[in-house]
Amino acid sequence: MDEIKQHYLYPAALFAEGTPHVVSTILGSCVAVCLFDPKTNKGGINHYMLPLWNGQGLASPKYGNIAIERLIERMLALGCSKSNLQAKVFGGGEVIETNISNFQIGDRNIKIAIEMLQEHKIPIVAKSVGGKLGRKIEFITHTGEVRQKYIQKQLI
Amino acid sequence: MPDQLTDDELIHELKRRFELNKKSLKELKELNAELKVVNKKLEESEALKTHFISNITNEIINPFTSIIGLSKAILSVDKENWKKVISMVALIHSEAFNLDFQLRNIFVAAKIEAGDIYPEILRVDVKNLLESIIESFKFEMRKKKLNIQFTIDSDIEGEQAYIFKTDPEKLKLIIANLMSNAVNFSFEGGMVEIEAIRKGRTLSVIVRDHGIGISKENQKIIFDRFKRVDSGINSLNRGHGLGLSINKAIIDMLNGKIAIESELGKGACFTISIPESEEPIEGFASDANEMFFDSESEVF
Repeated sequence: MDEIKQHYLYPAALFAEGTPHVVSTILGSCVAVCLFDPKTNKGGINHYMLPLWNGQGLASPKYGNIAIERLIERMLALGCSKSNLQAKVFGGGEVIETNISNFQIGDRNIKIAIEMLQEHKIPIVAKSVGGKLGRKIEFITHTGEVRQKYIQKQLI
Repeated sequence: MPDQLTDDELIHELKRRFELNKKSLKELKELNAELKVVNKKLEESEALKTHFISNITNEIINPFTSIIGLSKAILSVDKENWKKVISMVALIHSEAFNLDFQLRNIFVAAKIEAGDIYPEILRVDVKNLLESIIESFKFEMRKKKLNIQFTIDSDIEGEQAYIFKTDPEKLKLIIANLMSNAVNFSFEGGMVEIEAIRKGRTLSVIVRDHGIGISKENQKIIFDRFKRVDSGINSLNRGHGLGLSINKAIIDMLNGKIAIESELGKGACFTISIPESEEPIEGFASDANEMFFDSESEVF
């Protein structure tokens, strides 16, 4: 049996390949959306840091509205059907204490995921979001399974 | 007759609803402000399409046209005039160099926007790297009779003084973009200064020119892709253009910073600071401060 390839997902990047991978990433206020198609057994994942691209600079998947659209596009390019896609959402913790009530990046990152997945009619079948801790997750792309551990560390 | 609320209960409920309304109104105002910003960006994006064509013409089509024209001219040079060929080849090199450079920028921008770009950390001799970038701009600087001053300093002594863990290809592109702007916006006969300082686990590189400079107003928009300081179609110099927005994205990826000091007519000074990367373990940084809760993973 072939060993499953490992991939570390950096912030502002996304990953969707046809072959099985274990993709790991670390989340603080960032959010990762994992998409999986149980018909083709293919999965993809993004990792974004801020909810909305405001038109400034490059339109990179650092921003949630770009990252989610791009990930869906990549899944479709792999031969998945949008009607089969399922989502799992992770992250969006407030790991940095702040008194500024509307500086809730984690919350806003979570909201954009939920809203956009709803717009695309992609069901969220699991989620672990919010709270005060960071997370390390490992996404097994060909089964859709996600393993999560909480971490206590200053993450941005 | 249903139970009536007491006065206190009524006041409390009204107060609660008022607070809720107040919060909703505040959120609505914030969303509206964000919407205005994005709408303005959309308008600019439409205008950008015409600039895109202009940029492509300036950055790619014109150099190709020059290269084709010059190489055709070389084919028709008779043997007695071979000295002319040298200057024509120099011009071809110049156009090809700029073309190669801009295409690298475009390909990197495409990778950034696709989310397909990652730091590839190596132990880099940054002195060597900077010298090779400067060397690659030698012909461009000679064309404008520019002088260059390069200094590098480190607070580490010995053979490890300039060995720095970072992504060499991306650092190269960052510096090349700053060099390109410094050369393009310098007046003929001017000076370009490059100063590198390795201090602890941070590398700073300063690229300074004494040319056209950037107004305070334009400094705010300079990192927008395809934005140029002089939007005129017939501007003499190539704009800061795509390079600086790529620089910002790459520097963000390397967890660094970029700063501008400039005034119109007094040149520009760009400073980048990049922290040294951790040695990757299983593909990501790990240190002793990390505390995992539970030995078992939760499975979703």
